[in-house]
Parts: sequence; structure tokens; C-alpha cells
Amino acid sequence: MEEKVLEILKEVFELETVDQTCSQDTCDKWDSMGQLNLVAELEDAFDISLEPEEIGKMKSFKDVMRILSYKLK
Amino acid sequence: MSAFVFRNNTIERFFEKEYSFSGYDDISHIPQDVENYVWWYQVPIKFDSALVVQEIESYMQKLSYVVTQIDSRKTVIVLTMDIIYNIPLQEDNYSVVKAVTEYNNQLFDLELKNSNVKVLDITEFTRKYPVQDIFDWKYYFISQMGMNPKLHKEFKTWFNRKLSSIALKRKKCLVLDLDNTLWGGILGEDGIDGIKIGGDYPGKAFLYFQDAIHNLSKSGIILAVCSKNNEKDVLDAWDNNPYIILKKDSFSAYRINWQDKATNIKELADELNIGLDSFVFVDDNPTERELVKQMLPMVSVPDFPEQPYELPVFFKKLVEDYFKVYSITDEDKKKTEQYKANAARAQAQNSFADFDEFLNSLEINVTIEAANEFNISRIAQMTQKTNQFNLTTKRYTDADIRSFIASGWKIWCISVSDKFGDNGITGAIMMNGNNIDSLLLSCRILGKGIETAFVKTILSILQNEGIMDVTALYLPTAKNSQVSDFYEKCGLSCTCINEDGSKKYSVKLDSMDLSIKDYYNVNIK
Repeated sequence: MEEKVLEILKEVFELETVDQTCSQDTCDKWDSMGQLNLVAELEDAFDISLEPEEIGKMKSFKDVMRILSYKLK
Repeated sequence: MSAFVFRNNTIERFFEKEYSFSGYDDISHIPQDVENYVWWYQVPIKFDSALVVQEIESYMQKLSYVVTQIDSRKTVIVLTMDIIYNIPLQEDNYSVVKAVTEYNNQLFDLELKNSNVKVLDITEFTRKYPVQDIFDWKYYFISQMGMNPKLHKEFKTWFNRKLSSIALKRKKCLVLDLDNTLWGGILGEDGIDGIKIGGDYPGKAFLYFQDAIHNLSKSGIILAVCSKNNEKDVLDAWDNNPYIILKKDSFSAYRINWQDKATNIKELADELNIGLDSFVFVDDNPTERELVKQMLPMVSVPDFPEQPYELPVFFKKLVEDYFKVYSITDEDKKKTEQYKANAARAQAQNSFADFDEFLNSLEINVTIEAANEFNISRIAQMTQKTNQFNLTTKRYTDADIRSFIASGWKIWCISVSDKFGDNGITGAIMMNGNNIDSLLLSCRILGKGIETAFVKTILSILQNEGIMDVTALYLPTAKNSQVSDFYEKCGLSCTCINEDGSKKYSVKLDSMDLSIKDYYNVNIK
């Protein structure tokens, strides 16, 4: 799952390299529009529906992993 | 290709990178340095259908204005509107449906009057999906998406296909086979009287096809023949079969021989002095079509129908794919001229003479309110979230703001409403003494000149309180370049530009023009 998430982050935010420190603070393209793209991709890739509260909390790779692990439990 | 998109909802996800976007429902900025424009206003989402109707009506006025401001050599792609969400309580109220229909009809009128406007019917795309797939309230509420972002790939495919059909240049020459294409049967075997043209089916279908092509040639399309036959037989048929509509005179050139068709078409291109990419080749024989496709890939080669009764549909597609005229001919123009005269009065009412008049029509109310317990958390939230119209991008918490107020800062927020609705609190300014520490506004309200009116009103308040000079700062970020010269526009002087791009400003208030346009109804609380 981790790899898949990193791949999505890389694609959505057009990064050359990506690692687990990726977050809104380190990533220019991770703005509100980027967030929307990320959510749409994650929902598709993992076949889930993210709630607005979860989306609001998703500010870094670690947040994404935490929320996804919980959703997919 | 660079293109600028006018929109009222979040639609960035549906477009490639080379597109840039207006603010929401914002026509104040019409860039001239792009190659094309797109207008995509989606049905506004509000519970009160009377308001929705009013808003849809205003979109047409805005579009009319925008088209007048665009270089007429540049294409404006206009998407129609579709109601893609279930409107509640509409069982006996069709007012929104009616307004949308009216809006779409007006788009087609606009296309008639402006040769650079091309209307794309969005329902070609939307009707492929059930309503629960095409619209998702969650994405509407979190991001103001009027269409489900998950359909972005499908939309891009559809949109790009439509674009290429618009960009497609009109072909100039139609090269036709004869046997089983312009008539039924084979001339060499069936003879002049044996070929099927006119009379009963299938002759009737071929007659229709010839008649249609004859009319196409009147619109300026050059016809040519490329047929494997004895030339003498064909000339004989043209002279002596009374039913044949397309005769020798109908064709600008012909190659009737036993040579391969690719070579013949190349010769025709030379003779007529028309590029091969302007040729369309129509032949019932798939082997001949394949040969031409292989040898002359720039020639367009449509598939030919199996049955003669399919010829009318084939002809219609042929015209749509290759010979559709997008620019208006002289004759059409005459008609349009009349139409224009009749519509002149309606038009004058319908579009705005200038941008001021447009703003005047909006009935803009601006409320400026000092920070208090009810709005502090909203102000803090805006400092956290606002990226684009934010001069210093300083992020503060509720507690920060309370402590600033305690230490004497003056903080105001702004609410804006117009005849279409209330946007609530959408901006703030924070004064630390006579220095503007923060100034930010939501993108939603930009494009109506409210930003300068806001700053000027605040400076007037300060002046009345006895402040003489004000200083300010612009700190560049990756996202706020649109305000890099905002203070200049307000009338402040830049005193220093640093290497990192940050700018310092100062101004003497008594030297500034602090008047604002009277169509802003400003209310200070």
C-alpha cells in the first residue's frame, strides 16, 4: 500500500522523487487543487470513499497512510 | 496551445496543464496572450430556483461581454449547460430547466453571430452517465466541483476529440469512384442502360447521393473522379444516361484508366494544384481504400456503407467530418445582418457597455467589521488557508489574533454580498500600528474591484483616526504572484525591492486618492 500511495503522490504532484517525508509543507503542488486530485486518485485506487473530515486531516504522506490503514482495516 | 477557461465552478481537473483559469464567475480579467478561450459555466447550485434562474440569465450577459473583448481571430469554445444534479422540489416547477434551455439557445445564437465562437454540446458527454456518477455532492461541498472529478480522463478524451474536429480544416476536393459508388452495378458489364441510377431502389438511393454531392459542389467543394473503367464507356454514359446528375462538367478533373488509384490521385493533386491533405477519397472497394490509405496517408479515406440505403447517413457524416463550413459565407452574413438589426435593441439591453455598468448591475454590498469574538476564528482560519490573494501569507491561530488585539492591533474582516447571494466573511486586513501586517481575500470575491475598495476604505478609516503614513509589505510565495503589484495598483509607492522578490511600500494618506466607486455599497460596523 505504501508504495502505491507514494506512486500516487509522485504522479499527482508531478514529483521527480518522493519519500515518506512528503507533505503539504515540502510540496509546492500540494495545494487545495492538488488535495482534490489526490483524494480522487486515492478513492479510485483503493476503492474507498473518504469523508470530508478525513480529507481535511490529510496533510502529509503519514496522514494519508494513517487514514488509509484505518479505512481499509 | 495555451487556453484560458472562464468558469463558475472548480474544473481544473478536467483540463490539461496548458489551460489557465479565471476566478469563480469572474470576467474582470481577460488575458490577451493566450491562443484560445473556453467558456464553461455549469448550472449554479442553490436551493432557491428563482435565484438560480437569475444567475443563469446573468451568465449570458457576461459571455456576450467577454466575446466582445476577445480578438475575433481567436476561437472561443463554449460548452452548453446541463442540469446534472437532481434539483429538489422541482416536480411542478420547470423554471430552471427553462432557463438552461434558454441559455443554451442563446449560445447557439451567439455562435451564429460570431464566427470564432464554437458551441460544444456537453450533453453528448453527460448523457453517457447516470446522475449519481456524474455529480457528487461531497466534491461539490468540499471543492465546489460541479461535476464528479473522477470523470476527468473520460472528459479530457471527449473534449480533445471535439477540439480536433473543430480544428480540422475543411477539405477541398472530393475524389469519387464510379461503379457501385455513384451508381449501382458495373458500367463495363451492365452497360449504359444497365447501371442503377434513378428509378426504383437501389437506383433511387444513388440518385439521392448524386444530388447531395451536386449540392455539396455548389458550396465550393471540388469534385474529381478516379475510376477503373474505359474512359470511352464513361464519357458515353455521362452523355447518354438521362438520370445521371454528376456528368463530365461536374468534375474539375478525372482519371478514368486502369492505373493504380494512389498514382492517379497524386496526379489529380498536381493537376488541380491542391495539397493531398485536402483530398477525401470515396470508393466502395475496401482494397482500393486500403491502398490509398497506405500509399497516401494524408488523404482522408472514409469507410463506405455496405448498403445503398445507408448513403444519406454516409453523406451527412462525410459533410460533418470533412466539409463542414465553420466560417460564415457572404450569403449567411446578409441574413445575419438583418437578424442583427432586429436584435440590436435586445442586445443593447443584454450586454454591458462597459465593466463599470456590469459592476453596477451586481448591487454589491461590502460590510467591513472589526474583529470580535464571533469572527476571530474565521479570520484565523482564513490566514491558514488563503494562498493566492495573500500579501504576506502569515499564518495565525485564534490565540495569536486575540493577543494582537490585546496589544493594540486593528483588525477588520470583510463580507461581500451581491444580488446573487451572500459570500459571508471572505477577507481580512490586520494593522500593526501603521503597518499592514496581513491582507488577504478569498478568490471567490475577486474580479469585482472589491479588493481595492476594501483597502481604500480601511485607509480612510485610519486617516480619520489621525494616521498620516502607512507602510506595507509584499512577501512572494509560490502561489501569490497575482498580488505582486497589488499595492502599486492601490496607489502605494514601492520603496524597496529585495533580492528574494519581497517589496516594501509606504504612502502618505493625504496624497492618496481614497475615493471608491459608488456602486460599492459600503457598510462599516
